[in-house]
Amino acid sequence: MAEVILENICKTYGNSFRAIDQLNLSVKDGEFLILVGPSGCGKSTALRMIAGLEDITSGSLRIGGIDVVDMPPKDRDIAMVFQSYALYPHMTVFENIAFSMRLAGKPKAERKKRVDEIAKTLQLTSLLDSKPANLSGGQRQRVAMGRAMVREPAAFLMDEPLSNLDAKLRVQMRAEITSLQKQLGVTTIYVTHDQIEAMTMGDRVAVLKGGVLQQVDTPKRLYESPVNAFVAGFIGSPSMNLFEATLTGDELTSGTFAVRLQDAAFVRRPALRSYAGRKVVFGVRPEDLYDSSLESGRKYQTIPAKVTSIEELGSEHIVHLSIDAVRVDSGDPDAVDDFGLASNAVARFEPISAVHSGSEIRVAVDDAKFHFFDPETHLAI
Amino acid sequence: MTRQKRSHHKLKRAIAPYLYLSPALLIIGLLMLLPMVTVIGYSFQNSAVLRRDPSFAGLKHYQAIFADPVFWASLWHTLYFTCMSVVFHMTIGMVFALMLNSDRINPTLRNILRVLYILPWLFTAVIIAVIWRLLLEPNGVVNSVLMQMGIIGSKVEWFSSTATALHAVTFANIWAGYPLFMVSLLAGLQGIPKDFYEAADIDGAKAYQKLIFITIPQLMPIIISISLLDFIWTMQVFPLIWITTGGGPIYSTEVLSTYTYKLAFSSYNLSQASASAVVILLISLGLTLFYIRYQKAR
Repeated sequence: MAEVILENICKTYGNSFRAIDQLNLSVKDGEFLILVGPSGCGKSTALRMIAGLEDITSGSLRIGGIDVVDMPPKDRDIAMVFQSYALYPHMTVFENIAFSMRLAGKPKAERKKRVDEIAKTLQLTSLLDSKPANLSGGQRQRVAMGRAMVREPAAFLMDEPLSNLDAKLRVQMRAEITSLQKQLGVTTIYVTHDQIEAMTMGDRVAVLKGGVLQQVDTPKRLYESPVNAFVAGFIGSPSMNLFEATLTGDELTSGTFAVRLQDAAFVRRPALRSYAGRKVVFGVRPEDLYDSSLESGRKYQTIPAKVTSIEELGSEHIVHLSIDAVRVDSGDPDAVDDFGLASNAVARFEPISAVHSGSEIRVAVDDAKFHFFDPETHLAI
Repeated sequence: MTRQKRSHHKLKRAIAPYLYLSPALLIIGLLMLLPMVTVIGYSFQNSAVLRRDPSFAGLKHYQAIFADPVFWASLWHTLYFTCMSVVFHMTIGMVFALMLNSDRINPTLRNILRVLYILPWLFTAVIIAVIWRLLLEPNGVVNSVLMQMGIIGSKVEWFSSTATALHAVTFANIWAGYPLFMVSLLAGLQGIPKDFYEAADIDGAKAYQKLIFITIPQLMPIIISISLLDFIWTMQVFPLIWITTGGGPIYSTEVLSTYTYKLAFSSYNLSQASASAVVILLISLGLTLFYIRYQKAR
C-alpha cells in the first residue's frame, strides 16, 4: 500500500497534442480515487502514465515515495484491471490469476495456495479450470480483479472495468469492488466516464476536462460546490440546468421571468454583488425544481414553463421543460441535447405530480440552492 | 394452396441448394474425381493406357514400387524436402512477421521491408527455379560471394552435386514459400489485443515470455492450419525440382512427384506411375483428413 503523488505531469504526443496538462494529484494511502471526465479528457492516459504504459513527457510521479517516472511497469508495484479485462483466452482462470507468479518463478504449491485464497474471496473457486470464453461478464471481471490482487500491489489501477457489463450487473459489481477495496485497503485509482460510478464508489473524485484537472473533492462537495460550470454540468444526472440571466439588485431576470434572491445568497457569495447589472450564469439542479401545485413546491417562487415530455420512472418523474431563458453549455462534449430544441431544462418531480406533456405550468424554484458562475470564465462565484 | 401445390413447393425448396451446387459438383466430378478414380483403376491394370484391353494386375505395381529403392529414396527426399520447408517457412515467416509488426522499426522502413519480404510470392515456380539456377550455378553470384567471404575455398556445384542438390532445392523452396506464413502470421499478430501485452508488461513478462505465453498460443490456430496446408502443398511440388535438377544427380533430389512423372512419361510405365500417384494421394488424403478434423475441432 502506498501514496501516489503526481506533480506537474504533462503528456504531449508527437503531433504536439497535449493530452495531459500540469496534472497535480495526491492519492492517499488506501484511498479510492476516481478519475472522471468526458471522452478524450485524458483520464485513461493519466492512468496509463501511472502504470508506465505511456511515457511521461514531464513532471514527477511517486508511488510509495519512490520516483517511478523512468521505471518499467513491472517495477512500479502496481496492478491494473483493463477495460477489456485482458484475460488470456488460452489460459484457464487459475492460469490467468497465477500468471504473474509463474513469471516470477514462484513454486507451484505457493501459486496454488495464493490463487485458492483469492478465488475464495472472489467466489471463483468452482471456475478455476474454466476458460474465460465460458465465463459471464461479471465472472470475467472478477478474474481480472483476481489477477490484480494476486500480486499484492501497492496500488490498483482500474480503467473503466465495468463499462462492458450490463446495467444491472454494473450496479452489483460497483458494490463488490467498493467493498473489496475497503476490505483490502489498497490505494486505488479508478477511471470512469460514468459519473454515477464516480459518485458512489470513490472516497474522492478528480474531474478532468481536456487534460486539465478541474476539481478534486469528495463526491458530496463536488455535487454541492462545483468549482465551475463544467463540473456542475458533468456531475449529477440529469445534469444541472444552466441559464444566462441578468442580476438587477437582488433580482435575477431572464426572459419573461424574475426570481428574487434571498440575502443568504449574497452572504454566502459576497462576490455576487459585483455582478449587479451584469450577466451571470445560474444553475439549478433538477431536484431543486418543484411542481408548484404540490405541497413540496408551495413555499417557493415560481416561474412559467411548458412541459415538453415526461419520463415516468415510478419513484419520480423526469420532466423536460421549456423555460424562457437562454441555456448555457457546460462544455461537456458528451452531453446530449435534451430532446432536441423543444426543451431547455429538466426537473425531477414527485411521482404524484399530475403534469402532462404539452401543459403550461408554473415551476417552483428553490433559489437558495442556486449556483452562480461567471459568464466569461464559467468559474463559480 | 392445394396439398399438391404445397408438396411441389416443398420439393422445389429441398432441391434448390443442390441445384446451386450442381455446376461446381459437375466440374469437380469431371476434372478431379473422374481422373482420380481412373488413375486408381490404372494402378491395378497391366499396361494401362498403352493397351486396349489391359489385364487385371492386382497389387503387382504396388509391390514393384515398394521394392524399388528409388521409390524409398524419393519418399525420404519428399519428407526431408517437405519437413524442412514447412519448419523454415514457419520460422522465417514468424521472424519476419514479428519484425513487421514491431513498433520499434521505422514505419517507412517497415513498409519497404513488407514489399521486399513478399516479393518471392510474386514469382511463379518457373521463375524461381530459373533465378536459383542462375544464382547457384558454379560461376554464379552465390559461389562468388561465398568465396570472397572465405566461406568456401572452391566453386560448389550446388545443383549438380549429390551432397548439396537436395539442400539447394529445399533452400530455393524455403525462399519461395515463407511469404504465405509471414502474411498469415502478420494478420494474426495484428489481431492480438494490445492489452494482453500491456497486462504482461505489468506482470513483469520479458520479451521471450510474451512470445511463449501470449504470441505463440494466440497464433497457434493459424500456425497449425497453415503448416498443414503447406505440408500438403509442398509434398506435391514438381516444377521447382523438375526445372532445377530434374530429380538428379543420381536420384539425389528425386521426390515422389518427379519419380511418378518419370515412370509415366520417361519409362511409359503408366501402371506403376499410377500406383505411385495413388501412394501420394493416400499420404495427402491422410494429411487432409487430419486438417479437416482439426478445423472441425476448432
